[in-house]
Amino acid sequence: MIGRGHPWLSLAPALGVIAVLFGGGLALGLAGSFGMGRGGASGDAWIAVLSEGRVWRSLGLSLWIAFASTALSCLIGLGAALLLRRSFPGQGLARLLFQINLTIPHAVGALGILWLLSQSGFVARLSAGAGLIDGPAGFPALTQDRFAIGIIAHYVWKEVPFIGLILLANMQSLGDDPESAARSLGATPFAAMRLVLLPLLMPALIRAGAIVFAFSFGAWEVPVLLGQSAPTALPVLAWQRFTDPDLAARPEAMALAMLIALVSAVLIRAAFAGRNR
Amino acid sequence: MKRMMTGIIGALILAGGAARAQEGDALLEMSWEEIVETARGGEVNVFMWGGADNINAYVSDYIGGRLEEEYDITLNRVPLTDTAEAVNIVLGEVEAGATTGAVDMIWINGENFRTMKQGDLAWCGYVDKLPNAALVNFDNPAIANDFGTPVEGCEVPWSRVQFAFAHDTARTSEPPRSIPELLAWVEANPGRFTYPAPPDFTGAAFVRHVFTHVAGGPDALIGPFDRAKFDEVAKETWEILNGIEPHLWREGVTYPTSITQLQQMFANQEVDLFFTYDPAEVGTAVVNGIFPETARSYGLSDGTLANTNYMVIPVNAANKAAALVTQNLLLSAEAQLEKAQPEVWGAATVIEPDRAPDEVQAGFAALERHPSVVSIEELGQAALPELQADWTSAIEDGWIRNVGN
Amino acid sequence: MSPRLRMLLGLALIVALVAPLLPLALWSVARGWFFPQILPANWTIEPWMQAFAPRSEIPGALATTTLIALAAAALALGLGIPAGRALGLYRFRGKALVELALLAPVIVPGIAVGLGIHGVFLRLGLTNSVPGVVLVHLVPTLPYVIFVMSGVFANYDAEAEAQARSLGAKPLQVLWHVMLPAIAPGIVVAGLFAFLVSWSQYILTLTIGGGRVVTLPLLLYAQAGAGRNDQAGVLAMLSLGPGLVILALVARQLTGRGMAIGGTR
Repeated sequence: MIGRGHPWLSLAPALGVIAVLFGGGLALGLAGSFGMGRGGASGDAWIAVLSEGRVWRSLGLSLWIAFASTALSCLIGLGAALLLRRSFPGQGLARLLFQINLTIPHAVGALGILWLLSQSGFVARLSAGAGLIDGPAGFPALTQDRFAIGIIAHYVWKEVPFIGLILLANMQSLGDDPESAARSLGATPFAAMRLVLLPLLMPALIRAGAIVFAFSFGAWEVPVLLGQSAPTALPVLAWQRFTDPDLAARPEAMALAMLIALVSAVLIRAAFAGRNR
Repeated sequence: MKRMMTGIIGALILAGGAARAQEGDALLEMSWEEIVETARGGEVNVFMWGGADNINAYVSDYIGGRLEEEYDITLNRVPLTDTAEAVNIVLGEVEAGATTGAVDMIWINGENFRTMKQGDLAWCGYVDKLPNAALVNFDNPAIANDFGTPVEGCEVPWSRVQFAFAHDTARTSEPPRSIPELLAWVEANPGRFTYPAPPDFTGAAFVRHVFTHVAGGPDALIGPFDRAKFDEVAKETWEILNGIEPHLWREGVTYPTSITQLQQMFANQEVDLFFTYDPAEVGTAVVNGIFPETARSYGLSDGTLANTNYMVIPVNAANKAAALVTQNLLLSAEAQLEKAQPEVWGAATVIEPDRAPDEVQAGFAALERHPSVVSIEELGQAALPELQADWTSAIEDGWIRNVGN
Repeated sequence: MSPRLRMLLGLALIVALVAPLLPLALWSVARGWFFPQILPANWTIEPWMQAFAPRSEIPGALATTTLIALAAAALALGLGIPAGRALGLYRFRGKALVELALLAPVIVPGIAVGLGIHGVFLRLGLTNSVPGVVLVHLVPTLPYVIFVMSGVFANYDAEAEAQARSLGAKPLQVLWHVMLPAIAPGIVVAGLFAFLVSWSQYILTLTIGGGRVVTLPLLLYAQAGAGRNDQAGVLAMLSLGPGLVILALVARQLTGRGMAIGGTR
């Protein structure tokens, strides 16, 4: 830090771009959800959306997807980071794969999960080859299923390396000292990890988890490939309305988009508030 | 005054060469030769569903090539996954007051056309200008009505398609050949049938077959939407569809979300029946290695729905003259024959072959079809007209509410 | 944890990471690979030949995607480096709010913004064009660059600039000889990940590009949506390319703070 100053000139271009693209986008989306731009303003779209059972079921599903994906990614990511910080044969390869995974587009991963886990996918064929199942119907429904297992599997696959690498970077900068100190005071390795290391990692974990949550709650690319027919994830429903031939559905699409933004922002705000209390 | 202003502004833009804003009215005053001269050297942006390589190649290479060669017009084919995207673009532009739209032509029918017509988004009244329009019988109700919406010169027909089922002869030697047979077959073969959930286009068409069957045939449903009639037929239709649910793939707990998913499930032996609104697709799928050689498409004895698809020019299209030339070429006897060739596309023509030159007539007579594709004549013997868009959207909504939730 | 258990878990991790890529790779060299075949019965390079045949859309999309990602990354760096410097070096009134505003796009899903931005761009005449798509890609890329660069500048010794100035260096010389060498690794990391984030975009490209701007992810969905698994497999393999190249070039620099917000989405 070089202390106080007047950095506004440096900030202005970036702030301007974000204000126009992001702020403008949100503002127009909000206006559109109130039917502005097509004569007059009304809350019809919001009333229609909020009184529709399908929307609430979709919201519930999206929340389930986001919570489950975030929790599993954080948990497994933490485990993977603990695993990868000590050397073992294959550690280098695993670390490299972590980094490669980070660069893979979601679209690619989602398609890969579909062809891997569907009832006629690669794993199902292996099972059939091993005589475990008679046909596709004998394999459990892991994609386009009620519990969104395929969707969650994709997010976990994609986000475990993301969380793991962040935690590894943090562990590296913390070094071994905090834990060694606790160990020398008689703590078991597990207790040292839980009581010393974990609290130190918590801020980074929460920040990374918030990003995972926001993405898995609001992404369209993944549930559109891996999701079931009804209820659909909320972003899929919003896109369906956006491309509905019936023009009256457009304000509803905007209202759904705003609902996604609102829920995501409120929940993440709550997570940080809970942390800071 | 306003028209004069737009005229002047249009002339300025034309003179500046920045954009080709052509007043539609001015074009309609011209002779065909003048229209062709106006179009020469320009471009045309055609927005169309882009999921099939052979169709893409026909439009880009054959039509695009001839436009380039004969009229010096560049055809830009814009692939869509959903035609409504293009309608949305036009709508957004018109709302924002953009007069030189990005979209010059859309491959369209049904609800999307109704949306464009009702929203005054379609350019109308130019069909008489096209010399090749004489090859089309516009008195044929199947051409004059697009899913029950009168065309009234707001779009130009391109192809005919008719719904057909498909089975794999190696797996299912005797498939069900009518809706009642199908319903019985589903019960006898649990888990081996399903259909994509509406709003998927093909899935919705399947539901309409059941709906039409319950109504006792399409005659009862012809004409504008009738709420009382709908409620009566719908109630029984939902009962039937909910009744077969336990016997469907995954006990009907969920449905495929797209026709592609059903296609993949058929190829992977997850289900035994497939259906499509374009039987030529079954041949293409065999050629592309998606379906086994033993796949066959077939019609139903109680008939299958048929419809016509069209090309529409948006009211704000920037390159209307080039769009007219393109439409005329699409309708030409040679282009329609090329499109009907099984190795090109195998699409049924909308022109009357006997109005075409002799050699083209001979070409149509000599058409061979892919062994996996049911013959157009056989299928056409039992063709059902499509319902009006109000009916189809009510059926879709009703299905989502009562069956697919 | 015993070394053996550690190795076993590590192996499971490796298998899980690679598994989804396997069917994609196999499909790109297969024809008609369906249940119950475990491996394709027909191996062929035909999908790759088709992908690079004269009338294929893939080479064009490859070029478009690269161009857009380069432009978006360059723009994001141009805007993000000064902003990152301001956030990293200065304390000022309203800083927390500015940070929140600049990072907000990360926690608000793209579809929520995309549908609205479509309206903005329509009025500006930017829809259906490459420049419009480049601009909209700033929404996911810029926060990332700012975040990385503010971290880089937080560890940057601005005293060196003062010293150089006191020795008579001109502002541009200070920028070039003092600041740039110190932050260069950060710029590389931020730029590469901005490139990858743009490279992976789907929904924003579709909304703003209106289908006119055809990138690899769009083709991937189109081919998967048409049931052409072989072509989708080729596209998936091509999509992995830049990530692998970049990692090979700068693998060492990617373990630090640069990861803190990244990943492609």
